[in-house]
Amino acid sequence: MSSTRLRAGLWLALALAVGAACAALLARGVRLQTDLLALLPATERDPVAERAIERLAQAAGGRAVFLVGAREAAAAADAGRRFAAELRAAGAFRDVRAELPPVDLRQLAAFYLPHRFNLLTEEDRRALADGRADLDGRLQRKLLSPFRFGPTYPVAEDPFGLGDDWLAGLPLGALKLEPAHGLLIARGEGLAWALVSAEPAGSSFDTDTQRRVLRATERAERTLREREPAAQLLRSGAVFYAEAARAGAESDMHFIGMGSLAGMLALLYLVFRSLRPLALGLLTVAFGMAAAFAATVAVHGQIHLVTLVFGASLIGEAVDYAVQYFAAHLGAGPGWDAQAGLRRIAPGLALALATSALGYGALLLAPFPALSQIALFALVGLGAAWLSVFLLLPALLARPNERDPDRAVALPRRLLLWWQSHVPLRACFAAGAVLLLVAVPGWLLLRSDDDVRLLIARPPGLLAQEARIRALTGMEFGSQFVLVEGATPDTVLASEEALAGRLAPLLADRRVASYQAVSAFVPSAQRQQENRALWRQGVFRDAAALRARLAAAGLRDDLADRQREAFEAAANDRLTVGDWLASPLSAPFRYLWLGAQEQGYASVLLPQGVRDARALEEAVRGVPGVSWVDKPASVSRLFRSYREWGAGWLAGAFCLVYLILGARYGARLGAVVLAPTLLAVALALGAFGYSHTPATLFTIMGLMLVLGVGVNYAIFLREGGVRTAATLAGVLLSAGTTLLSFGLLAFSSMPALSGFGLTLLVGVAIAVLLAPMVLSYGGLPQA
Amino acid sequence: MRRLSLARIAGVAAACCAAACGARAAEPDALAQIGAQVGSHAVVRAEFTQSRQMAVMKRPLTSSGRLVYARRLGVLWLIEQPLRATYVLGEDRIAEVGADGVRRERALREVPGLAPLGRVLRALFGADTAVLKEHFEVTLRGDAAAWELDLRPREAQLAQFLAGVQVSGGRFVEAIRMSEAGGDVTQIRFRNSRSASAPSDEELRLFGEAAPATRP
Repeated sequence: MSSTRLRAGLWLALALAVGAACAALLARGVRLQTDLLALLPATERDPVAERAIERLAQAAGGRAVFLVGAREAAAAADAGRRFAAELRAAGAFRDVRAELPPVDLRQLAAFYLPHRFNLLTEEDRRALADGRADLDGRLQRKLLSPFRFGPTYPVAEDPFGLGDDWLAGLPLGALKLEPAHGLLIARGEGLAWALVSAEPAGSSFDTDTQRRVLRATERAERTLREREPAAQLLRSGAVFYAEAARAGAESDMHFIGMGSLAGMLALLYLVFRSLRPLALGLLTVAFGMAAAFAATVAVHGQIHLVTLVFGASLIGEAVDYAVQYFAAHLGAGPGWDAQAGLRRIAPGLALALATSALGYGALLLAPFPALSQIALFALVGLGAAWLSVFLLLPALLARPNERDPDRAVALPRRLLLWWQSHVPLRACFAAGAVLLLVAVPGWLLLRSDDDVRLLIARPPGLLAQEARIRALTGMEFGSQFVLVEGATPDTVLASEEALAGRLAPLLADRRVASYQAVSAFVPSAQRQQENRALWRQGVFRDAAALRARLAAAGLRDDLADRQREAFEAAANDRLTVGDWLASPLSAPFRYLWLGAQEQGYASVLLPQGVRDARALEEAVRGVPGVSWVDKPASVSRLFRSYREWGAGWLAGAFCLVYLILGARYGARLGAVVLAPTLLAVALALGAFGYSHTPATLFTIMGLMLVLGVGVNYAIFLREGGVRTAATLAGVLLSAGTTLLSFGLLAFSSMPALSGFGLTLLVGVAIAVLLAPMVLSYGGLPQA
Repeated sequence: MRRLSLARIAGVAAACCAAACGARAAEPDALAQIGAQVGSHAVVRAEFTQSRQMAVMKRPLTSSGRLVYARRLGVLWLIEQPLRATYVLGEDRIAEVGADGVRRERALREVPGLAPLGRVLRALFGADTAVLKEHFEVTLRGDAAAWELDLRPREAQLAQFLAGVQVSGGRFVEAIRMSEAGGDVTQIRFRNSRSASAPSDEELRLFGEAAPATRP
């Protein structure tokens, strides 16, 4: 068996193995990850903070939230009830809630009643401490106030209303919802809105769940409108965002994949006028993609939809190696020797693979799960496609070509020959210098953008609905909070209380609307002791005075002594977080308490209506055990630091590539080969500046690939030389397919991918246009 | 915000009235008539006497003062005896102004269950039958000249505090009797009710409506 056939056999064995692996993985069920949040890196050094972020995201985003709006509360409630029934019947949701269990406010008073002598509001603490509590006035007001409904204690339990103040000060009502007609009703925009919330029966990121949820919602909405044409519906929830993101990425993948494939086949046929290169090109690409898929799933245990979108755009690059071989075949004419042809292009292909690997290798080091997955996919895919050229193609492309290579590329060839004979290297450098001068003002215009929305773009329609729901209900879907850690539950509470003092000025001038914290429901042990001391000092120290005071107001005589007895009986009382957690009253706020961690305990203080996040961060700084967590800001900071780091790495990569090129071509020619790519990067940045397209981390990542891919054309051109028209055909084909794929990527619905694609499109296009510079350097190798 | 809310109240009231007028039964019709009759006053000023019977008190607790009901803004409750204190029941907040002139405010929405109560109280003082029907089973006795409404809470939320309410009057609301769930009873009588077209500047200030130079 000849070595050619032996290698083809090896390829076949590999292909079968890869195919079997793919089949096995698919049979087992590959988890297609569609959660865009999974793309975000872990930003917090503190793992407790990361867990808190996850927990809050679940508390806020796990449920789908609907508001059903109508002119009247009763109509809204009816419509809301019917809408909920409709959702329930569809079976897409595990739990649909519309009707409320009546919140028993007496239950609230009953929970705090035994502990009331340990509890005081901040205002009452100050008043008691300063002796300006005006107990007589308080008693009168408690007796005469016309509006003494709400969560209050009876006069006999709390004659001075100090306990009422505590109950009224509980941050229960951050929500603007009120119970009416058996549902929670919000009022705003001239309508009444009934709240319906539903938990999807399955993960919000599961495709089937998404489809069922969407179908059920649409049907319920149709029924709603049939019965009440004026009714309005607002929706929000992770499942809707996830569905939109998945649908967008899927259509991207189909569009880019089909576009790349069709374009590649058309170009191949246009140049080679034969179906054989088409079939072989497809075979190498398919092998590359299958290997990349199997490797990615094997390493990561799943594959992200975004990786597939990017993978679709890789088709144009993966076919390049085969194209070079087809070009050599085309150029050799009747004297074709499959192995000799391969040997001739091998150094060029190896160089091309090395530079691409360098570009993608940089992505592999990036801390983004998404980018490192993309990099792995690309490296394996390109490597496998490259390997196919060496193993498979010589066996299947043994017969010489019959088509005249010159006819395929007559026009561009004439152009390049003209370039070669009329454009001296000095002119090239002069032109390069001029281009650089033109680019410089563009650099100065260049702005950067590190917003997290680059990675997670949300459909404006859904965002607008979420904003309205937020405004109507006061619900927060925020990802900014204060993490409080301490050795014991009590130190956590004490730290929260220390924080409260710092937050007071921010609340006063409305830079922060309010906040929720466990310490607002359960004061620290020390605070409880202080409160009790204040009660004693301000209310119970003088028994006779207390008796006289209550008698003067006309209260029954035994009341004063009963108060004193109750106070003394509660001497050893202490309200604990455990008590609070055990009560159903804490249910809406339990996610604030993170509980026992590896070291100590932790809780979340959740600010609401934040207008000035910077001031909040500033206020929180320096309190021991307390840290400010702002996921979007952390991600943006990370984007920024890696954008800057990436710029440095880009410069380093240029040096590395220059070293590789220098090793083969020598210092001077190496520089000439690299020059078009260097200019491409410089001009692309200038173009972005002029067009006010901000530079992002993904621009830098794109430029990394411009380096890896763009230098290939100069290499191929240099290796083949213009006289071998077929080489030129190969280079043009490579550039065409690559530009097509990345050009399509620029249309992706994800800003990160489209920025990536745009960078590659602009950069690679410039690199291709300037690649003929290498022809101006004397001493071409003879073809 | 305020304008939106008013539009809402007006909208709800109009829709309720429309529904009531179209109804077959005579009672809703009479109810709507009473609502329209009392609601025709933009501002009502009256003197009140309140008597409260509470289990913890040796004797009933009486207080007296002035009431200002402004259909657009809410209720001012100015106690003059036995102490001076002013309570403001606005659309979305309640406020208390003590004898020292210090104003303590709180949004109704901050306290669960208080927002509907605020609306109910305002509706009681203004005999806003449309809103009352939203929250109570309403039984009407008498006619438009001398009527009495017997109200039983529809919602458990309200029933936690309020066993029942009786409101009576003619052109104006003349008496309100509230029975709390705990057994305490509050009786309010109004005298010298007068209608006016607009609140005074001082009243506007108490409602927190006008913007004198001293307000931040």
